[in-house]
Amino acid sequence: MDLPSVALFGVDIIRFTIDLGNTFALYLVVSLTLNLEAGYAGVPNFGKVMFVAGGAAIAGSVCGRLAAIILAVNTYPDYNGSIARIISDTNSSLLHNPLLSVELLLLGLVLAAGVGAGLGFLASYPAIRLREDYLGMLLLASAQFFQLFLSGYTPFIGGTGGIEVPDVFGWVGTGIGFRDLVVLGFLGLFAILVYFYFERIARSPLGRTLRAIRDNEVASRALGKNDVAFRRNVIIIASAISGMAGALIAFEDGAVGPGSWTRITWTFWIWVMVIMGGSANNLGVALGALSFTFLFKTLNLVKFQFSNYVPFDVNWLQYLMFASLVILFLIARPGGILPEKSSTTLPRRTVAEIMEPRPKPIEGSETSENRSTSPETNPG
Amino acid sequence: MVDPYIVSSIVYASLFGLMAIGLTLTYLTTKVPNFAYGSFVTIGIYTSFTIYRLLGLSPYVSAPIAFAVGGLSSVAMYLGILRTLARRGSSLVSLMIATLALDIGFIGIFGIYTDYLYYNLGIFDSKSFYQLLLDFSLLGLPGLLYVAPASLAVVTIGLFILLTKTKFGIAMRASVENPNLARILGINVEKVYVFAWFLAGGFAAMAGSYYDLFFTGTTSSGSDLIVEIFASSILGGLASIYGAAIGGLIIGASEILLTLVGVDFFGSWVARYQRGIPLVIMIITLLVLPQGLSSIDWKKILRLEMIGKFFRLRVIRYTLRLRMLLKTFRSRGIQ
Repeated sequence: MDLPSVALFGVDIIRFTIDLGNTFALYLVVSLTLNLEAGYAGVPNFGKVMFVAGGAAIAGSVCGRLAAIILAVNTYPDYNGSIARIISDTNSSLLHNPLLSVELLLLGLVLAAGVGAGLGFLASYPAIRLREDYLGMLLLASAQFFQLFLSGYTPFIGGTGGIEVPDVFGWVGTGIGFRDLVVLGFLGLFAILVYFYFERIARSPLGRTLRAIRDNEVASRALGKNDVAFRRNVIIIASAISGMAGALIAFEDGAVGPGSWTRITWTFWIWVMVIMGGSANNLGVALGALSFTFLFKTLNLVKFQFSNYVPFDVNWLQYLMFASLVILFLIARPGGILPEKSSTTLPRRTVAEIMEPRPKPIEGSETSENRSTSPETNPG
Repeated sequence: MVDPYIVSSIVYASLFGLMAIGLTLTYLTTKVPNFAYGSFVTIGIYTSFTIYRLLGLSPYVSAPIAFAVGGLSSVAMYLGILRTLARRGSSLVSLMIATLALDIGFIGIFGIYTDYLYYNLGIFDSKSFYQLLLDFSLLGLPGLLYVAPASLAVVTIGLFILLTKTKFGIAMRASVENPNLARILGINVEKVYVFAWFLAGGFAAMAGSYYDLFFTGTTSSGSDLIVEIFASSILGGLASIYGAAIGGLIIGASEILLTLVGVDFFGSWVARYQRGIPLVIMIITLLVLPQGLSSIDWKKILRLEMIGKFFRLRVIRYTLRLRMLLKTFRSRGIQ
């Protein structure tokens, strides 16, 4: 079964929408985790890429090996060296084995969450002790080194070249574009679940406590809140979910390599989304992620139209554009598209009534009101 | 003949000293860790490269030009973006994001610039070029071995004289210590900050133009050094220029020499994680000595009489114990 192709302005609009949706779902998840850390808990994570990359690398490495062992694929002489043949053999076996595919996917997610949580636990040790600027430098440098580790340690994901990952969505159908649609469904479901989970955290007493700790650490400590434990838990949760997103990226792409984990792709772009959307506002961050993804994908489509007019590679303009966009947002609208709202524990109407008490309308009050407001027009 | 690793570690260490001094100057004035700082090194690298390719001048000649270009870009960044943001009451995190954004913007600018060199001027190695073989040789050793440490020494001593002996330098220190009080005394704090940012960008670009003589230059050479630069500055305490110079020397030398030792002991795979050494030093510094080398009370440590007293007590105690032991042995008849 093939997807129909609908062309609009020379672009296959269905294919474009599916691609946009997949990228948006992944960006949404990671930007929500950054929002929980930086927006709500006040821990500026400048090393986000490390947690995403950790999840992707472990899922890609372990799931591929495990699938090869279970399906008895010949891995001689070594796994990374003959990766292309092994993965193509594994994929052709997985095509008829949906159960194993789903198990591998779930195992990858669990492993990635574990690695993400572990890295988050390590990162939380300095995060609750250092000031924001020192922490930013430390996490940025650590993420830089983590990328170096991924490209240097060949047994893990095969060094600079990276390795391929078994296709766990291969069993859904061989039609053109059909796999992407199923991936979109799965990623969308995951992103929606994560969104509602974070929205629930934000609206719960926990979310209000986090904001209180962010705004005034000493006062919240005086109220008996253990700020160290709160921050540590938030970093661990956010990192675990970032790791899961990383695993999904690896499964979606069918490959994982150190080249794609730079401080631009999964740290800076994520900060762009949070700043554009509005930090400490999940809906705003979702909007920011959507507008970023849309801008990014549309620019990718149209930028080569201009390549005849400029004497350089048009890709560089994208960097300049998003850098200036962030700085413009920071200058002109630091709160983002949807700024942070004050949290209300009661329904808005109840709060309004508490703030401005009004007499409640009672039975038969309408006539008396009419009489009182216009006594001259209705005399006697 | 001096070991080439020793030569490169001395050069590396001196360049990091220069860069760390610059980063510390920006941190002292604006209290923001400048994530775009590595890009100023790249500005220096490419200024010297372009001047060599177009005019054939050695980086030693073009270093002052690189200093000016780097300094002016740094001032433009400070006045155009960071000061605007700071005046609008942006938080520290916002300022950090702005510097990160600038770093990304610089990637775009360098890309466009090297494309221009490639397509319009026909410089086909503009994206990645080998070290420029223009260095002179003295006593059989590369000239940079003398020039880089000498530059670091001149910069450090020059800053020491500026900050302690001149009126402007004392005004600088006052505006770093307490900007509001300095303003009350009639010091133009803005002028001081602009000057500090000019020096910071200049030192980075100068180090970058020396870098051409020794290492392969690419558009990301500078921003790849950010781990080492941060580590040097943090080791120095982020608040002391002399600490930064010493921190840069330690980081630069230990990165190369420890890697060498590691390769000897564990095998050649250690060389791949060379960049991990500054990171480890940075983490240890942050956890053990967060205020850096400049916070150590050297006078207390160097108070030799204390150490002498300590050891004397130890010696007396141990000799007494030994005597007691011998006495017991003797009483049991063991000679």
